[in-house]
Amino acid sequence: MQHYWFGDVDVEGCRIASRNPEDLARRVASLHTDMDSFEPIDWRTAQACGLVGDRGEYLRMLREVCTISARQKIAASYQGKDVELLQMVRMLDELDDVINLLHERAVEWYQVSTPSFSRKYRSLPARKMIGVIRKNSGGGLRRVADEIDRLAGLRSGLMREVSDRADEVLPNCSALIGGLVAARLASRAGGLEALAKMPGSTIQVLGSERALFSHLRSGSPSPKHGIIFQHRRVHNAPKEVRGRVARVLAGKLGIAARIDYYRGAADPEFIAGAQARIDEAGMME
Amino acid sequence: MIRIHNVLVSPGEGGVYGERMLDGYRVWDPYRSKLAALYTVGTGIELAPAMRVLYLGAANGTTVSHVADYVDTVYAVEFAPRPMQDLLEVARRRRNIVPIMADAGKPEEYAHFMEPVDLVYQDVAQPDQVSIAERNLPFLLPGGWLVLMLKTRSVDVRRDPEDVLAEARDALARRLEVVEVCWLDPYHLDHAAIVCRDRRCAEVK
Repeated sequence: MQHYWFGDVDVEGCRIASRNPEDLARRVASLHTDMDSFEPIDWRTAQACGLVGDRGEYLRMLREVCTISARQKIAASYQGKDVELLQMVRMLDELDDVINLLHERAVEWYQVSTPSFSRKYRSLPARKMIGVIRKNSGGGLRRVADEIDRLAGLRSGLMREVSDRADEVLPNCSALIGGLVAARLASRAGGLEALAKMPGSTIQVLGSERALFSHLRSGSPSPKHGIIFQHRRVHNAPKEVRGRVARVLAGKLGIAARIDYYRGAADPEFIAGAQARIDEAGMME
Repeated sequence: MIRIHNVLVSPGEGGVYGERMLDGYRVWDPYRSKLAALYTVGTGIELAPAMRVLYLGAANGTTVSHVADYVDTVYAVEFAPRPMQDLLEVARRRRNIVPIMADAGKPEEYAHFMEPVDLVYQDVAQPDQVSIAERNLPFLLPGGWLVLMLKTRSVDVRRDPEDVLAEARDALARRLEVVEVCWLDPYHLDHAAIVCRDRRCAEVK
């Protein structure tokens, strides 16, 4: 017997499952064809069954069922808790790039409009520098600086949201490396599910693809860390043990991602054990 | 294939992705579509009005829309949700496209929709491209065609593209008759087209 989208067919005849496209879409969701005994559909079978009058009608009905089924699958794939988090963290990283570019350009502009200005011997972080520009200039530059300041405010707000959302969606990963970096890892992996299926060694070098492929191709040194370098435990570690910290941390993250994906709740016992193991890796002999 | 002043075109309603129009025909750009590149640098196979096509890796429906201009029916298989949203919109306006959301490597997930087809066209970014094509051969009519757009970088970035192509061609030659093999540069780098024909005789109609 062949199970087709519109019904079951065997030598004795056919049985139409339904004439309602919604019902048929539900039916195809559970169909699984055995390819060894499969025979492709002859649309005339559907005609002989009395489902359709001609090929045009057959295609119309098939297209409707396929479209409904596809829309349901698309909706289901956007249901994951992590889907919006990924968009948020990508927007955040994009905002960072844009703010940096605009800031650099605004400082250049400010320097030509204020010949006596120099940044030497003054520690001026970006946000303060924009404040100086806003205070001392007018016209276009002033308005640009105002906008950059607003963007920076937007960025801080979004960063808090990303961090809070990550604590919720990736509780164990966030406990180990902070919500922001955890969200970036999930974003680079392509989602929490993908991250949960990755080995620790892949997580360790996520985000350093250029160095990794250069290593695989031409034998340059392999990267020790990618995105996880952003966490203080890795970049504050002494150089001699940084690779080891990165490796241990990545291994524990792989487990944390699996707990996040399959269980979805923080596991305090695991987190405490993992923290201790990572701290131990950071100690010099 | 229809060409106007040596420009490849297809007949149909325009405006799918902002393509240029030429004498009422849609210009089919070899830089945007690997199939158009094949028709530009090689021969490919003539798309005929009676053909039914299984298109694996339909993506946003750009090339699908051109193929649908030429043939009777296109079964368009795509896995990723975002491009699928675009493909559904293309299929809404072209009545001969059947949009199927499924993994091209798992034909058992969409076999229950399938008629036998004259052509299997495959353009998927997966490492096991040849085996995906083989798994879809049950849908092919005797004497039917397979056009495989081999993305050598997806198979293995570390290996020489020439080796990857040779291996794929040999693997396909075990099941099918390889008719044409060509690189698609300068339009698509490290991409090759492999045109195969089913060895069983076509039924006399």
